[in-house]
Amino acid sequence: MTPRGRFVPITRKINSIILAGLVAGIGSITLYFSRDISLTIEQSTREALGQQGRILFTSVENFMLPGEAPLAVEFFKDVGGVTPGFSVGLFRVSGLPAFSDNETITAVNRNLGRERFAPRDRSENIFTLPVIPDGIRSALGSPPRDAFFRLSEDGRILAVVYKPLVNLPKCTGCHGSDHTIRGLLDIRTDITASVARQKTVLLVAGAFFFAVVAAVWLFLGRFLHSAVITPVKKIGAVCEDVTAGKFSSRVAIENRDEIGRLGETVNTMVEGLHERFKLTKFVSASTIRSLKDETQTRRSRLTIFFSDIRGFTSFSEKNPPEEVVRLLNRILNMQTDLVHETGGDVDKYVGDAVVALWSGENAERKACETAVRIQQSLSGDPASYGGLTVGIGITAGDVILGMIGSLRRADYTVIGDTVNTASRLCGSAKSGQIIVSAETYRRLGSDATADGPYKMKVKGKEMYIKVYILRDFSRSGS
Amino acid sequence: MKTGRIFSVFCVLSAIPVVFACCARKTGPLLAQDYSSWKTTHTEELQYPIPGHENTYRRIFISPGGERPEIVSRDGETRYAYPEGTQVIKEIYAREDGRYASGPSMLTAMVKRKDHPAARGGWLWILTKPGSGEETIISEEFCITCHANANEKHPYGDRNPKGEFRDYLFFPFPPPAR
Repeated sequence: MTPRGRFVPITRKINSIILAGLVAGIGSITLYFSRDISLTIEQSTREALGQQGRILFTSVENFMLPGEAPLAVEFFKDVGGVTPGFSVGLFRVSGLPAFSDNETITAVNRNLGRERFAPRDRSENIFTLPVIPDGIRSALGSPPRDAFFRLSEDGRILAVVYKPLVNLPKCTGCHGSDHTIRGLLDIRTDITASVARQKTVLLVAGAFFFAVVAAVWLFLGRFLHSAVITPVKKIGAVCEDVTAGKFSSRVAIENRDEIGRLGETVNTMVEGLHERFKLTKFVSASTIRSLKDETQTRRSRLTIFFSDIRGFTSFSEKNPPEEVVRLLNRILNMQTDLVHETGGDVDKYVGDAVVALWSGENAERKACETAVRIQQSLSGDPASYGGLTVGIGITAGDVILGMIGSLRRADYTVIGDTVNTASRLCGSAKSGQIIVSAETYRRLGSDATADGPYKMKVKGKEMYIKVYILRDFSRSGS
Repeated sequence: MKTGRIFSVFCVLSAIPVVFACCARKTGPLLAQDYSSWKTTHTEELQYPIPGHENTYRRIFISPGGERPEIVSRDGETRYAYPEGTQVIKEIYAREDGRYASGPSMLTAMVKRKDHPAARGGWLWILTKPGSGEETIISEEFCITCHANANEKHPYGDRNPKGEFRDYLFFPFPPPAR
């Protein structure tokens, strides 16, 4: 089955999967821990601010209950400068700084029904922090809650909490019960260093992530390249060589793993293929086809060609064996080449005789043209062939094709009366003659020149058969 | 198997834990619907203004399971402890145009769940609107900050003159004798 779709190199596929896995795996872990560290720092900051808010709230509560507001004012002044970057403010829900006027004192005296606290002579604004309206809105939500946010100021980053001061039941004696929130605590602490540390952590984590991904990617890429890709390419190259007929190629893989075993298997397979390829010289094409297609025995119409060297026995007796074999092979080679040129198939060599087959349209003409060219070759250059000549017999008809032989040795060949007739015609043909059956001659076309018809008595047949002695074709190759 | 298919399977498998992690667990309703048949914790009309509920009219109910709190006196200190599961539901009637609404506009509730992660002082502090089906657990300090005053002298009910630990209820049940 031919694979469909665009060709994608396996290196790209593997690299993509590795990269995706690394980014998803290491990336998510790095992201998770980086985020967790940032959240932890953020949470710690908030908890610290919240704790400070509760302490301040309790302190204010304890100052105010006995009516010691001046002590609370001094307390806030001291606490506000206790550490660099730390500041505290107190606002009414309206956003006005606490203790900035006599409004609260007046309201308290009114609720108590007496002049419990004397109004101050002058206004003193001890809380100079700028109010953040969004912070007030957020803190006074439903329910009121500590509102945390960040503020950038003069190149510094401040963590801010707005903590609502609840009008507790025990406060209502002085402050009344008509409101829920007394005011807002504003606590600010400089977290510039913490933020810088968070950024550093993120940058280091990011750099570490990229470094690890790149290192692992490179390592795995190189490992896969040497362990899989290169051996597979070597196997592919050998397969390409074998396809091109170069059987000397072998896979050189030293891996002791599945790929190594595959290479060994391919090498064994190539050796087997080479042996089979060499065997094809000794086996007819129809035999190879029958093996490939697992062809069963069948009846078919074929044109059968027999040629036999005249005077070969005498020639072989007079000449040295090397010369005999050399000239015999030259004649057989010449005949075989011409048979193949016209689409025929050499079925077998029987000593100095050649048996060839043609099938399909114009099979008779192709066989006869081949015979004419063989005779022309031999007569045109007799010195090259030691003056040897051949007689040829050709006929066509139904034959039986099948694997003939034993379990150990067999040929896919033809048998039948047509084969016998062709053999007899060949046997009757004199040096340089081509004897064809009358039926075969009729199928050659008008340009075939021949002598005949003649009646010939053929061994094994009671009746005479009509034959022609083929001379030539006036339009050769038509 | 195609590369794309492998990648898709990988993405799906990676997404499963993320989806599970993002799915919030839902719990059933915490507050009983038939609370109005319960006993009230107060003997007086609660229509005076107070911080937190201001000028609303309030009615406070306690679940039958909370009618018998454990009251322990030791070393001169008295401590109330309401049983696990006790529900205290406060109806809030808004005041509009000088009159109170005929039905509660809001319910604030305390549910005794000592081991709940959102519990403060052993109670879950819950806000809901009647019929909404949505219950909000107040995780902020707002509710308990005020109700912590119930465990000391305060200006409501019997005023807790001895500063008993009333388990965060300004109007404990049974109502203390004045």
